[in-house]
Amino acid sequence: MTPREKGPGSITSSDQQLVLSSLEPEQLARLKKHLIPRRHLKGPEKFVMWSLRIYLLFMMVVVVYQVWTSLR
Amino acid sequence: MNLGPLSRITPQAVPQEDVVITHEDVDRAHDRVRVSAARAQRGAFSKFRLLWLLVGPGILVMLGENDGPSMISYAATGARFGIGFFIPFVILTFCMAIVVQEMTMRLGSATHRGHAELIFDRFGPFWGWFSMIDLGIGNFLTLITEFIAIRAGLGFFGVPPWAAVGSALVFLCLAVAMHRYWTWERTLLAIAIFNLVFVPVALLTHPNWHSVGSALVTWKPLPGGLSQETLIIVLADIGATVTPWMLFFQQSATVDKGLTRKDIHLGRIDTVVGAALAAIAAVATILATAPLFAHHMTAENFQGAEFAQALQPLIGRFGAALFALGIVEAGLVASVTISISSAYAFGEVARRPHSLNLPVGQGKAFYSVLFLCAATAGAIVLIPGLPLVYVVLLVNVVAVLAMPPALVFLFMLANDREVMGDLVSPRWANILATSVVVFLTLAGLLFGISVIAPNVFAFLGGK
Repeated sequence: MTPREKGPGSITSSDQQLVLSSLEPEQLARLKKHLIPRRHLKGPEKFVMWSLRIYLLFMMVVVVYQVWTSLR
Repeated sequence: MNLGPLSRITPQAVPQEDVVITHEDVDRAHDRVRVSAARAQRGAFSKFRLLWLLVGPGILVMLGENDGPSMISYAATGARFGIGFFIPFVILTFCMAIVVQEMTMRLGSATHRGHAELIFDRFGPFWGWFSMIDLGIGNFLTLITEFIAIRAGLGFFGVPPWAAVGSALVFLCLAVAMHRYWTWERTLLAIAIFNLVFVPVALLTHPNWHSVGSALVTWKPLPGGLSQETLIIVLADIGATVTPWMLFFQQSATVDKGLTRKDIHLGRIDTVVGAALAAIAAVATILATAPLFAHHMTAENFQGAEFAQALQPLIGRFGAALFALGIVEAGLVASVTISISSAYAFGEVARRPHSLNLPVGQGKAFYSVLFLCAATAGAIVLIPGLPLVYVVLLVNVVAVLAMPPALVFLFMLANDREVMGDLVSPRWANILATSVVVFLTLAGLLFGISVIAPNVFAFLGGK
């Protein structure tokens, strides 16, 4: 890896050494801009995620109904 | 440099010219140097110093979740139902919180990525946006309730609402003005420990320790059986310990602090200590207001500070003032942690710098989101005629309902061998996590049934 200074006078070479010796590569802030590859979702996983999504939407309707009846 | 599990699927694809050192990295590196130095030394003091350096996200998330609505829910619980069922129940909910939060700490330490970032990358924007909408709505509603708590608590001392909300916003700005994660964390920890102020308040009520011990050992049934009212309190108490913002906050804070795979053991201790402290404060709050139940006082319409006023004849002005201050502290700390949780998630999804180590100039978006969320929530609290207590209890209920979908993302990520390597969840953790998801889903469904068909509970022996 070739670290470079962000701007003149802002990050010194001793800072660079410190960072490279103390942090793991994935801890560097700029490296986090790179995406982690997408995971392929299996059928049962999609089923659980959709079921819980529908559950949440349904329960939100229940909460709104409960608020409405309480306010009345 | 040590390589984590993600190194197998990311760094090779990164162009070398993209590797830029930032001020955020330098600050984090300084923190890690101190950790490495403490780890290299032998002796009990060094071990304690290492623990001291690594604790933070776990304690903050747990004490942060003992927030305004949570403490008001616990107060309502004690005042309306006493201690028999709810003291063991609240301890159980904190055990659930440990199971869930340990996974976020492990994810953060292993991947160095925030929760929102991981969901977007691994599951794609379709599921990512669902998750963000849940978080955004939940965080905003919860923030409103934090300002309700601050307003109610300071109202006990005669502070007008506008001054209470204004002071809280100033506190928020001061809390993040240090531009250094370490300083922010230590300052907020010192303030968050004040959550234990409910312990002396409970002691002032002279609890019957025999009854407390009996409640812990025997776990008495729900007073009055199942009803919509008891279910709302049950859900509010669950929502007082496990909520979606906690997942996002602890993982992002773990990353911001710079914890690595080597720190996971102490990260677990951090989480357990946080849960224990928060459970003590929660039980103390229930104990503090239980005399209102014993004296058959109606507490249905109490707000945060009204519990303090109601307790004043029993524990005196000093005790009541401590109670009100506890409510203020709960709201203040949580308003900071929840705003930061929103800002972290925004930064992770928008790929903008997101760290408490950032100077304002480099983190304009991060700090703007943080402040705007809080300011808008604070302004809403000043609207006259808002049904405050109802909003407070309802927010915790909504948090519980939003947990199962959030937990499934967490569960799948914690078992994703490509990102976790050998740190995937062990079998026992998966069994516990699945139990938590099933329990929360069933609790939500029971609440739904109580709303749609309240007569069903008559068959179950309730009201």
